[in-house]
This record gives sequence, structure tokens and C-alpha cells, in this order.
Amino acid sequence: MSTIDLLILASVVGSLAAVLVFLVYYLTASKAESMSLTAKEEGYTDSNAYWREQLYGKPRPLSWSIFTYDDAKSIGLRYIFTAVLFLFIAGAFGVLMRVSLFDPNPVIIQPIIYNILMTQHATLMIYMFAIGAALGFGYYLLPSQLRLKRDNMGHLSSVAYWIWVLGGALFVLSRSSMRWYLYPPLSLQLTPTGAGAFNWLAIIAMELIFIGVTMASVIVLKVIFIDRADNIPLSKMPVFAWSVVFTLIMLLSSDEPLMVGLGMLFYDFFNPVFFTGTTSTPLTFAVLFWFWGHPIVYIAVIPYFGLMYDIITRFTKTPVYSYFSGVFSLGLLMILSELVWGHHLLNSGLGIDWVLFFTSASFVVVIPSALTIFNMIGTLWKAEKIRLTTPMMFVINAILDFIIGGVTGVMLASQSVNEVAHGTYFVTAHFHFIFVGLTLGVTMATFYLLYPTFSNGRVYDERLAKWHFYITAFGSLLMSTSWAVGGYLGMPRSVAGYFAQFQAYQDSAIIGGVIIGIGQLVFLYNIAKSWLAQPTTDPYNILEYRNETNQEIGGGE
Amino acid sequence: MNSKLKNEMIYSIVVIVILLVVAIINVNYIDGHMANIAQPENNSTVPANSTIIKVTGYQWAWSFTYTNGTTSTDVLYAQAGHAYTLQVTSKDVIHDLLIPNLGVQVYAVPGHPNQVTFEPTKPGTYIFECVEYCGQDHYLMRGYLEVS
Repeated sequence: MSTIDLLILASVVGSLAAVLVFLVYYLTASKAESMSLTAKEEGYTDSNAYWREQLYGKPRPLSWSIFTYDDAKSIGLRYIFTAVLFLFIAGAFGVLMRVSLFDPNPVIIQPIIYNILMTQHATLMIYMFAIGAALGFGYYLLPSQLRLKRDNMGHLSSVAYWIWVLGGALFVLSRSSMRWYLYPPLSLQLTPTGAGAFNWLAIIAMELIFIGVTMASVIVLKVIFIDRADNIPLSKMPVFAWSVVFTLIMLLSSDEPLMVGLGMLFYDFFNPVFFTGTTSTPLTFAVLFWFWGHPIVYIAVIPYFGLMYDIITRFTKTPVYSYFSGVFSLGLLMILSELVWGHHLLNSGLGIDWVLFFTSASFVVVIPSALTIFNMIGTLWKAEKIRLTTPMMFVINAILDFIIGGVTGVMLASQSVNEVAHGTYFVTAHFHFIFVGLTLGVTMATFYLLYPTFSNGRVYDERLAKWHFYITAFGSLLMSTSWAVGGYLGMPRSVAGYFAQFQAYQDSAIIGGVIIGIGQLVFLYNIAKSWLAQPTTDPYNILEYRNETNQEIGGGE
Repeated sequence: MNSKLKNEMIYSIVVIVILLVVAIINVNYIDGHMANIAQPENNSTVPANSTIIKVTGYQWAWSFTYTNGTTSTDVLYAQAGHAYTLQVTSKDVIHDLLIPNLGVQVYAVPGHPNQVTFEPTKPGTYIFECVEYCGQDHYLMRGYLEVS
């Protein structure tokens, strides 16, 4: 293609993009104007305040208007659907990675691309999907669960949302290949063979994500503690509200070290003094990173525990087996999980005492997780009747997968296993059992539950939803089990190629991964199909509380 | 004490006891295998009967220097029944040497040399690999341990 053709193409694409941007601007601006006119007629000077009061606490069907309103429900929908969008982007990256490992040598996807996919898959799944969906469900469910007195932080929530989305988009554009650990000196190598030429952009993007998430966390905590209705004491809050409280306190108390660390890392691009100088060691950054990096994996679990409690109580019509021990163990999980981060660095030469303390602490953190699971099983045990709807099946599968993932986690906490399995696919299997089974599963369960509300009374196809469940559960089990076995034999993770002796484990994991991908396509088809049909049901949402009698089921004993 | 509280007590105690047993086994293991755990390089803590091998990781290969001055790349030679202490460092970024069949794992950190001791018991060929992502050809940073 000659330069002139390229220029013509660029100008055509540029003009089309400009027209599109102008159209979006025109639509939002005219919408904002008509909204402010309506508000003025009602005697309000601040149109957003008027609309928040009008929309406050009502179920919000999904439409483009969620981007112009900033009441809590609209913000929640923005977060949930952005998280699902990033789930599909990062999931597609994951399936591509799987497929490229078909052969022991990288023939389908070059290593340089594979490493970019790997970095993007991990970072987007955790920061954009897991945290985004948790915040989204918080924003969407808490205002009605806690019957808020006011909803007046919409502006800031909106700003936090856009900063977070900007961070995610810039991270994709940076094409970074430094893996989500960001360890220097690799993350300082601005070459395609190192961390990617635009890795500096990835550092800025991460910082933006952190700023957005931190702002949103403070707002949600303020909503729970200050705006809660006077007749709902803390001791009667649904377990989900408690789980969000613990998650966000944990997030706020552990993300500063990495925010500071990222700033220092950025400075190191220009003047390497902090982590790669003569008097410093890159392990300092690893310590800063894991001080945040361990709590974050609980951030992808604790709010989903809360949702699981709520879904179980809905479908068994039984109160939580022990509300106190449920909340207490989530709180204990928050505290203990901040004390075990060192177990990610057991073999890095930080000393025997380090190993002794962090392996022992890692056993202690199992206690609250086990109590949570026993509590859920107890609730199911006491139930007269369990309605096996699709969300309930996802939740039961999440319990099973969490037990498998938890047991493999305890194994990793022991030093004799850790020095064999750390850095292998055994670890990948451990957290994919939990992330696919629990984080993805419970997100899907909640999405199905809320779908009639999102869609103004449309009903998804129950049969297709069941298929989605079976396919996802089977694919996840196949993929993670193959990884666990292969990893225990020494199959290293995050590699674009591998020793030929591991091909059987890799190939069965590929089948599992592709099956998970197909399952999510069934989900997309189901949603698209029912979206086009006519609404047939009441958009009432069983995770929210309509009246006092419902409230009794969730909280208290 | 009602039955609910009793059940809770029972499962809490069962979980705690199981974990306590595993934790004690783990502490016992650490106590008995001090030299086999990665730790900062220190010639005074090298076991008396073991031979020192200098290991350098770089993008993207491992090089091993033996006491007689010879060097091998991506192949490590050892004799069964002898103890070896790997003193590991890195030229560029963080690497992590893993010999899965022998349970040897040690990070190669620039400016922070580590050491780990191991003793192969059976002759044979074992794989080793880098398990800390280190750039484009991370997956090629692997090789064989030849135990004769």
C-alpha cells in the first residue's frame, strides 16, 4: 500500500470516527439538556440531584441512558456490564492462549504475542472483571438491600467509573507483556522482547485503575455505613453487605503499597534508583506487590461468598445456618489474608524465618474459609427443599470448586510441596478452580437472577442456561484437573512452549478451555435471544428486599 | 448449648486439628531441611560435604560453572549420592530455577544471590526450567540435569 493510499484510508477512518464521536456527543448533550429542563421545571437547580431522587431505589432496566444518569443503580449497571465486556475480551485471550499451546513448540501464536495475551488475560480478569463485577453488584444491590436514605455521590462514582474504564482501555492499548506481577527489572525493559515497548503506558493504566477503584470503594463504604436506613442496624445487614464492607476495607488498606510502588517503578524508567540500583534489590518491589497481590485474590472471592449466602437463602427459603459465624469468618478472612502474602515468595531467598512464618500463617487462613463453606453446607443441610434453578446450580458448583481449589491451596502452603509446585500449572489450577468455579460462576448466577430486572421483565431460556452451566462446570473441571496433574509433575506456567512430555496434560486442558469458551457463547446467545423477545414477567428481583418479611429471611437468626 | 452451636464447635475443632497436624508436619520438614530451602548466599552455611556450583540465569539460558572452572549451558551435570549447593544469581531480570523431580527451587535475583542444597539419589536425566516469567523466550530457558 502506497503512502497516499494510506493517507486516504487514515483520513476516511478518521473522519468516520469524528462523525461517530460527534454523534455520541450530540446525543448525550441533547439528553442532558432535556434532563436539566425537566429538573428546572420541578424547581431544582442541580439536574443530577433531581434525577437521582426520581430514580432512587427503583429497578433500572438496561439502556444507553445508564451513561447519562448517575444514580447508584445506573452506576452499578455500568460496572456490571463493563465487567462482563472485559470478561469476554480477557476470556477470548485465554482461549487463544490455550489453543496456541496445542503443540509443544509455538507454531500457532508467536511467543511475543502469547506473552501479551497472558498479561492482558490476568490483569483484565482481576482488575476489570472480578473487582468491577463486585463493585457493580455492590452499587446495584446495596441501595435497595439497605434502603438507603440518600444517594448523593453519583458524580464522584461516575468519575471513578470513567477513570477505571480509561485505565482498563489504556492497559489493553499498552500491549504490555510484563505479566501481572510487574517485577522489575523486566518491567523496566521497554523492548518488545522484554516488557513491551509501551510498558510505561501500562504502569499509568494500572495507576488509573487503582485511583478509580479506590474512589469507588470509599463511596460504597460511605453508602453502607452512613446512608443505610435507620431501621437496619449493622447486625441485621445481609451477609452480602458485610462481605462488601470487608472486601473494601481490605482493598483500601492494602492497595497503597502497590500504588506507591508503581510510582517508584515509573520513576525508575528515568533514573533507576529504587529497585535496580546498586544498593537496592528487585525483591523490594515483589514484597510491595504481594502485600497488595495476595489480598486482591480474596477481593475476587469474599464478595462472591456474600452473594452465595444471599442466593442460597433465597432458593432454600432457610435463614443462614449461623449468621454470626458467617460474618465473623468473612471478617477473620479479611484480617488473616493480609498476613499471608509472603507465601508467594517462599523460594526467593528471603530466609528460613520468612518461610517458617508465612507457611504457618497460610494454614491459619484456611480456618475462616472452611467455616464459611461449612456454614453454607449447613444452610443447604437444614433446608426442607432446594430449588435447583440455574443460579443455585452455579452456587453449588462454586462450593465444590472452592473445596477443590482450597485443598490444592493448603497443599501449596506446605513448603515441601511449594518448592516442587510453585511456578507450575499446579498453582494455575489452584486459582482457576476458584476463579472459574466461584468468581465466574457466582457472577453468572447473579447475572441470571438479575436478568429480568435488567431487561425490564424478559426471561432467559432456562434450558440453554442449564446447558451453559453444565458446559462451563465440566470445562472448568477438565481444564483445571489437567493442569493440577501436569503441574505436580513439573509443567511450568506462563510459557509459550513446553517439554513434549507434558503434551497430554496441555491438550486435555485445551479441550477444557475451549469447552468453557463454548459455554460462554451459549450464554451470549441465550441473552441475545431473550433480549429480542417480548417481556413476559415482573421485573421483581429476588436478591433485593421488597418488604420487612423478606428482610427477616436474609439477616438475623 | 444448642445443637447448632455444638455442630459449629465440632467442625471448627476438626478443621483446626487437621490444620494443626499439617502445620506441625510442615514446621518439622522445614527444620529438617534447612539447607534445601532457598536462602541468601552465604559460604559459611554451605553444608561441609557439598560441592558448590555457580549458576547464572540470563535472558534466556542457564549457565553452570563447576569448581574445576568448566562451564555448561542449559545442562547441569551431577553425580548420584553427592550433595551440591547451587549459588544462583542473575545477569538481567528475575528468574526462578526449578528441578521438579528433586524439589529444588530457587529464585535468581540480580544483586541478591541465593543458594540451595540438593542431593540427587538416582542416576538419570531430569528436566529443569525457569518458572519466573522473564521475557520473550522464557519458555526456552530450560534444560536437563544429567545425574551419573
